[in-house]
Amino acid sequence: MTVPVKVFGALEDKSIRFRELHAEDGSEIAHVLVDDDGKEVPRERVAKGFEVAPGEYVVLTNDEIKAADQPARKAVELEDFVPADDIDPVYYDKPYHLAPQKGAEEAYALLAAALEMTGRVGIGRVVLRAREQLVSVRPVDGVLRMQVMRYADQIVPGDEMDVPEPSKKPGKKEIEMAATLIDTLAADFDPTRYEDTYRERVLEVVKQKEQGKEIELPEPEEREEPDDLMAALEASLKATKKGKS
Amino acid sequence: MARRLWRGSLSFGLVNVPVALMSAVRDTDIHFNQIDEETGTRLHVQRVCKKEDKPVEYDEVVSGYPRSDGEGYVMLTDEELAAAQPEKTRTIDISEFVPLAQIDPVYFDHAYFLVPVGEGEGPLRAYKLLVEAMKGSDRAAIGHFVLRTKEYLVALRVRDDLLSLVTMRFHDEIRPVDELPGLPTKKHQPSKKELDQAVKLIESMAADWDPERYEDRHNERLEKIIQRKRKGQTIKAPAAPETPEPVPDLMAALRESLEAAKAGA
Repeated sequence: MTVPVKVFGALEDKSIRFRELHAEDGSEIAHVLVDDDGKEVPRERVAKGFEVAPGEYVVLTNDEIKAADQPARKAVELEDFVPADDIDPVYYDKPYHLAPQKGAEEAYALLAAALEMTGRVGIGRVVLRAREQLVSVRPVDGVLRMQVMRYADQIVPGDEMDVPEPSKKPGKKEIEMAATLIDTLAADFDPTRYEDTYRERVLEVVKQKEQGKEIELPEPEEREEPDDLMAALEASLKATKKGKS
Repeated sequence: MARRLWRGSLSFGLVNVPVALMSAVRDTDIHFNQIDEETGTRLHVQRVCKKEDKPVEYDEVVSGYPRSDGEGYVMLTDEELAAAQPEKTRTIDISEFVPLAQIDPVYFDHAYFLVPVGEGEGPLRAYKLLVEAMKGSDRAAIGHFVLRTKEYLVALRVRDDLLSLVTMRFHDEIRPVDELPGLPTKKHQPSKKELDQAVKLIESMAADWDPERYEDRHNERLEKIIQRKRKGQTIKAPAAPETPEPVPDLMAALRESLEAAKAGA
């Protein structure tokens, strides 16, 4: 079964881009490539090299790098269909949107509807920018979304963090109280509730500076110390209950 | 050894747990260096002041934002930019607990661990308490915090008996899907028969999610090409990949795929 699709980036870059300037005279800064003697090398002489031994580089052209992952078909090859809810969030990387090619609208709508019905996502491989990626394909309101998946060997396992066990484990009563606190803070997920207020504040600082105003520098923060666990839990529960009634 | 990227406290109600942030994602890619083709030596990036044509060290660099009149830049130091940070940059404030299944994975970005820090048993016990309480819940904690100069929305869960933190994209960073060209309309919706067949096909290829099953084949292949090139072999440019055509008969294609899937199983 083949559904010809086009791939579109799903992200919109909203970050504020600054230009590097020389503090002394405010002029623009350029990035140039130099050799060990500090001599600039023109761009047309720059190649991609992989260090195979100290100081020995194997130079590859873009076509040679492409040869590594060249697929037989320009396609997302789905291998498995797995339960959508079983995938841990740490595996998800960059998202893309898929749109049908002309003539493939019915097959596209069919795949989206069937995935929706089964609650499964397709797992497969696709070559994006000369690199084979593991991807998931899921339906979102009738549209197919493809998301790059991290490979298992990219995910750091917890035991590498070397976190010791406390000599006295949290008691049943404490765990129950913490679970109650979680329940009192339960809500539905609504992504539109969260705004990146930092962006606006940065633009505000830029505006103030442009108008010649002095920017007040923030005070260093004091570190908060851990409190008595049970007392803090009890106080939190009281506070949230009061807030609700 | 993993490096602490941030240190602060996780605030949950009135409970404060001192924690450090560690990356939970490894870069396994093969990276290339920039080489001068003529001499075969490695090159470095050098910042140069365009006016004086002289090298500039990183500590002499400030940030510039285009002036509103289009004439040059507003100059800002890192300290001035830090003024835009919220007052509490040392705290991850958990605001609510939401069902994990409600979060569209499109929001998930980078993955980290939060590990307990601080003297004595107290912080460690508070950390473990939160782990134990969250382990039994199908909810993720949603919070905010500032890392370097950016504010992040984060989801916290338990993974490998530790607190797993995933940064999330803001909703306006996701392109709306109605901008996509050529999406199917009502007349393209499948018939019940087609849908039944497609569901059968999916079920025939159903599997559990087991990330270990999928190996990253890229590095191995690229490594082979590098070794061949090192021996002086020619790397042939690969044939252009075939572009699949839309199937003319959906039902026939579904039937064929089902048979192929059954034969393969």
